[in-house]
Amino acid sequence: MTTVLRVVLILMSLLVLIIMLRKIRQSKARIEDSMFWVFFALLLVVFSVFPQAADWLSALVGTMSTSNFIFLLMIFLLLVKSFSMSMRISQLETKVKELVQWIAIDKNRRESDAADIEQRGPETKPEKNGLGEKESEQ
Amino acid sequence: MMSEVLVIIPAYNEEENIERVVGNLEANYPELDYVVVNDGSKDSTAELCRKNGYNLLDLPVNLGLAGGFQAGLKYAWLRHYSYAVQFDGDGQHRPEYIEAMRKKMEEGYDIVIGSRFVTEKKPRSMRMLGSNLIAVAIRLTTGVRLKDPTSGMRMFSRKMIEEFALGLNYGPEPDTVSYLIKQGARVAEVQVAMDERIAGVSYLNPVNAAKYMSKMLFSILLIQNFRKRDRRYKKKAGGEEK
Repeated sequence: MTTVLRVVLILMSLLVLIIMLRKIRQSKARIEDSMFWVFFALLLVVFSVFPQAADWLSALVGTMSTSNFIFLLMIFLLLVKSFSMSMRISQLETKVKELVQWIAIDKNRRESDAADIEQRGPETKPEKNGLGEKESEQ
Repeated sequence: MMSEVLVIIPAYNEEENIERVVGNLEANYPELDYVVVNDGSKDSTAELCRKNGYNLLDLPVNLGLAGGFQAGLKYAWLRHYSYAVQFDGDGQHRPEYIEAMRKKMEEGYDIVIGSRFVTEKKPRSMRMLGSNLIAVAIRLTTGVRLKDPTSGMRMFSRKMIEEFALGLNYGPEPDTVSYLIKQGARVAEVQVAMDERIAGVSYLNPVNAAKYMSKMLFSILLIQNFRKRDRRYKKKAGGEEK
């Protein structure tokens, strides 16, 4: 890896870390969601500070150069991330759909209850009706 | 008295049609219960329904046909209806065929499709080419010949209502029907006539039609084969007549 690439990687990682920590300070991201990005940034810092580790892994995998290995690793990590995000969107959409449907059903029930009471008139509300019947029985 | 059949009318921006469609049902078919599902329309569909006192499920946001229809099926399931029929809000479907479909249901079917081509011949058009392709895909995967798989007028039995109301990936589309046939559900077709839409715009333009076709073929030929069915429904469907 060239020194320039190492410097770029370190700067980029620091930027990601700063942005992520700021989002958490501002309560705009959950800690669970920041973990991936912090881990991602730290990994790049490790490879930039200790390029021997990246060289060794690159030789192990058989990539032509270490920078290729870094790119491949990043693509792979981002793919995994986008897959897990796609799953989460699916689940979120299902939850939103369920909520919307039940809200509509609840609203329908309340509206039809209200219409029932209106039709019968206030003096024949169920509890009053019960009392009235008892009185007439006596 | 509550009727046995619930007519579910999904409506998205149908202000020009909804009064005619529901008015006809109320005036001429008082024995049928119905529910209009307003799928987050941007026009005055919901206001018109409230003004006329229609039975309304008012979805606060737009979910699309599958989500809207499922809301109607949840309602049918909660209120213990025996049958639910999918009925377009644009006036294409005619209520006089609902009784015939219900009679067919009583022969022990799980789904009855209001089909345009049981006794009538299928016209040759781009649209029907698509319908044929889906029919071929269903035949390849299930061995069952459906004459009109894309018809939007379908009636569902009590156990199908439950499965559709509570399940995920149960859109009211041919791919779900294909999956259920494979799982042992019994499906029949009854000849119906349909009207052209009178007002409003159809969602079906060439681009959407192509998208729909590829989604259906992909789903029927590939994805549906990998689905796992909830054991609750496995026991109920198909096993009874054996």
